[in-house]
Amino acid sequence: MSGSAESEPARMLSDALLVAFVGSGTIVLVGFFFPSFVGDALGGRAWLGLSLLFFGSGLGYLAALPYEGVEANETYAASLLRVRRGSLRSLLSNLVSLQNPITLGVPVLVFALYFVLQILFPETTVELVNGLSDSVLRGMGPVLLGAVLLAVAYCAVLLLSSWGDVKLGGDDVEPTYTYPTYFSLVFTAGIAAGIVFWGPAEALFHYRQPPPYFDVPAQSDAAVGAALVYALFHWGLSAWSAYAVLGIPIAYFVFERGAPLRVSSILTPFLGADSLDSPWSRLVDTLAVFATIGGIATSIALVSQQFLTGVEFQWGVPPGGVGPVLFVGGLAAVFVLSAVSGLHRGIRRIAGLNVVLFGLFGVLLFAVGPRGFVVDRGTEAVGAYLLHFVPMSLFSSGSWVTEWTVWNWAWWFSWAPFAGLFLAALSRGRRIRTIVLTSVGATSAATGAWFLVFGGTSLSMQRSGTTDVLAAIEARGGSEAVAGYPILSALPLGDLLLFLFLALIVVFIVTSADTSTLIAALLASRRGIAPSRGTIALWGGVQASVALAVILVGGGETLQALAVLTGAPFAVLAVVAMIGLSLALYREERGQGHTSLVRLVLDRLPDIQTHHDIEPPDREK
Amino acid sequence: MVDSQGESERRPFEEVFYPTDRVPLVEWREFSGAKSTVAVMAAITVLAFVTGLSNLSQPQPVVEGPLAAVLPLSRTFVRFAGVLFAFPLGLVTVGLQRRKRVAWVAAMALLPGLTLLPLTTGRTTEIPLLLLVFAAVPLLATNRDVFSQSLDLSSLQIAALTSILGVGLYGTVGAYGLRDQFLELDGWGDAFYYVIVTIATVGYGDITPVTTEAKLFSLSVILLGTGAFTVAVGALIGPAIESRMAAAFGTMTVSELSLLEDHVVVLGYGDVTESFLDLMDEETDLVVVTENADAASRLAGGGIEVLTDDPTDESALRDARVDVASGVAVAGDDDAENVLAVLAARNVNPDVRIVAVANEETHVRKLDAVGADEIIDLRAIGGRLLGESLLSGDETDSERSRSDRSEQAES
Repeated sequence: MSGSAESEPARMLSDALLVAFVGSGTIVLVGFFFPSFVGDALGGRAWLGLSLLFFGSGLGYLAALPYEGVEANETYAASLLRVRRGSLRSLLSNLVSLQNPITLGVPVLVFALYFVLQILFPETTVELVNGLSDSVLRGMGPVLLGAVLLAVAYCAVLLLSSWGDVKLGGDDVEPTYTYPTYFSLVFTAGIAAGIVFWGPAEALFHYRQPPPYFDVPAQSDAAVGAALVYALFHWGLSAWSAYAVLGIPIAYFVFERGAPLRVSSILTPFLGADSLDSPWSRLVDTLAVFATIGGIATSIALVSQQFLTGVEFQWGVPPGGVGPVLFVGGLAAVFVLSAVSGLHRGIRRIAGLNVVLFGLFGVLLFAVGPRGFVVDRGTEAVGAYLLHFVPMSLFSSGSWVTEWTVWNWAWWFSWAPFAGLFLAALSRGRRIRTIVLTSVGATSAATGAWFLVFGGTSLSMQRSGTTDVLAAIEARGGSEAVAGYPILSALPLGDLLLFLFLALIVVFIVTSADTSTLIAALLASRRGIAPSRGTIALWGGVQASVALAVILVGGGETLQALAVLTGAPFAVLAVVAMIGLSLALYREERGQGHTSLVRLVLDRLPDIQTHHDIEPPDREK
Repeated sequence: MVDSQGESERRPFEEVFYPTDRVPLVEWREFSGAKSTVAVMAAITVLAFVTGLSNLSQPQPVVEGPLAAVLPLSRTFVRFAGVLFAFPLGLVTVGLQRRKRVAWVAAMALLPGLTLLPLTTGRTTEIPLLLLVFAAVPLLATNRDVFSQSLDLSSLQIAALTSILGVGLYGTVGAYGLRDQFLELDGWGDAFYYVIVTIATVGYGDITPVTTEAKLFSLSVILLGTGAFTVAVGALIGPAIESRMAAAFGTMTVSELSLLEDHVVVLGYGDVTESFLDLMDEETDLVVVTENADAASRLAGGGIEVLTDDPTDESALRDARVDVASGVAVAGDDDAENVLAVLAARNVNPDVRIVAVANEETHVRKLDAVGADEIIDLRAIGGRLLGESLLSGDETDSERSRSDRSEQAES
């Protein structure tokens, strides 16, 4: 076939991945079907390695498969030739020359400085960052709470008012990404493996120590309701609104005003689309790169450690010294391959697989879990969530709120530049209303269902005494990483659920890491240059090195705290973006004949008293 | 390096985020065709076999599924069902590969039965099988029309199959009726067992006739049964061997033709056929349909599949699988026959691309009218080439000689 003729090394790569996938898959399947024959022949570590090879090579193969109908603009052979012709150093300096020196240099310098400090004065550094983090979160707490509530309200306004009717990129532009693709990409990019660990754990933690807003005794029947409501609250509409209120302004200015695709485009109404090269916008973009790399690279490292902790807890397989390094290295290989292969290849396919696995796991868990408990308590919790939404959002007293809610909002805001920018990039041809409905409505419905099913299951088992999950968490020093295992192994089909659980963790990390690599590469490229494959690979390397450094040097939680701190300035920027978008929409879109959702619904209702002689109000187009 | 954003120009990020006009999550068409259906059925067969082995390897069959209490004999069922389902499923998969209607019906009947296995055991290892079955049923349903080939059994095969069935019935019912005159024959199960052991000429000897009547009955079962068995083996296996022999000698049989898909059918044999065949690469499957016996034997000697039949006859075209061909070339020397061939091909497959050769210029419109997608007017092309080469002889020469020189000539 013409056009999709991939070069020889690319085909060799995908063939090798396929062989690894089929080979490891066969062994894993044999172990799965005949555990009594081969189960003991290989050690636990070998099984773990084989399973991970199975996941990794499968994901890599998905990324390496060619996409019919799109010609690769640069063949692997050409890029390999280039490597051979020039030295690695000249290749790197070539790549670096394509980067904006500030957006590339400052984050890298900060990370290097942090690791040097962490090696030289570990205790002082941790103390310093923790002190900083505490004071910022305490001081900025009300601001973050207010910004999040404002974001939810603003999303509601965008959804319902006539502004929601604005179609980005002009009325005749059709969206490139079909709706399922759009949802999968937005959902899987915006959420990492945290959801897999916190799914069973979040509600349990709130059950052990109920939120002060609900004045209920700990570990009581009433605490079950409070725990589920707060799990919904922390992962629901509020959280996803943080992405939307950065993403939608960017998308509007990019597709309607010709601003470049960067976080700093939210400043367009204040600076003008042509003067976005000011120090302010550089500062915003640099901060965005720092937040993206810091937030996601530390997540990769922490999640990897949690993954291995959980495996050690469940199967008694100690990770050893090289285990985490190998794990992070393998993950990095997969997400760099996925990011380099392109949005329509690796990123899209792995996102689709992620959503399918997520749905499959949720349905299986619901089918074999305590259905009655989940449905009863879940519907109650949804009702209570809606009823108490505004008071909960405004409730700010006590250290519990700072430790949980404020920290959580700062975390979501620190991911917002990357997730929002990605949301903006995909939204060409979509109406603002659709973007809100997808990035806030559909996504929080998915996370909400997950937390109700998984959290409800864990609470039910904890209360009925089937397994004491809290004791298991205590035994591991309060780590949420182990919460899932005792629950799943006590259920029917436990081994299949555990297998899917491990696969979900891996896939969720990859889907976030590949998009964040792409976004960091985009942000750091010089103006007017699209990130090349080399640039994307370079940023993948940066992410992987930070993650490896976290594993080797330690201090991952401290670095994460540092990255989460960037959430505070982005909360302020989100408010700025909302004001800017409102101004622009007010100036530009008035009298353009946009119809609000409310009016559309009202028009659909059957008229009881129709005046046939009066023309409906003037609404052309 | 300047940030230039013209209205029509593609903006830098669009190269990354908008590489193509439409990005669906899953290319459904790639995954929902007949080939995927066959692949899923093959996977089910393998999984059913492996799952069955896994069940057999258990010291005690596990029956903890929701259907365990309802299903009679659930332990026996669990122990053997997987493997016993796998064998007929394998046959069904081969049948589906040949697009047989019967295989489709059998698959639709077997798959619900197979779901009983996971639902009875409730073991984790059965879940992949269950999920695959759930995927296969909608695939089969949507591709229903593709699996439309009739089984086409010869009368001998039908007779052999019926007589085996008849003898089996006769033997079982008869043995059960005469059970008092046999040693150790107590019920229907024993009667059936006795008949099979006898017909297959195994004859363990645990059940034996004791009276003359029973002995005569047993003899009749042996004679009729082994006879029917032998004939059936010959009638069913023989044609397959025959077709392998035929394939070795290069002439395709109808059953082999039924394996073709996305091939090119050449109707008629004319002056241009040989050079056309030279041009086709090894990858493309070709079938030539011609009545010209000399040409047929010469082409078959050259390793090209030939169907010696009338290219204007629709049943011959169906045998050549024009209905699933990727293209039809009509290349006979007689334009009248070419018109009829185009008509016949169009009748068999309204969508296939047909390219026809017109030997006379006046016939171009007629070929077009009967549904050819493209018509090659041999004389006009020849005439044009003649004129061009006369007027600018160097250029055509250099174009043929080397590609890089032709680039220079163009510039």
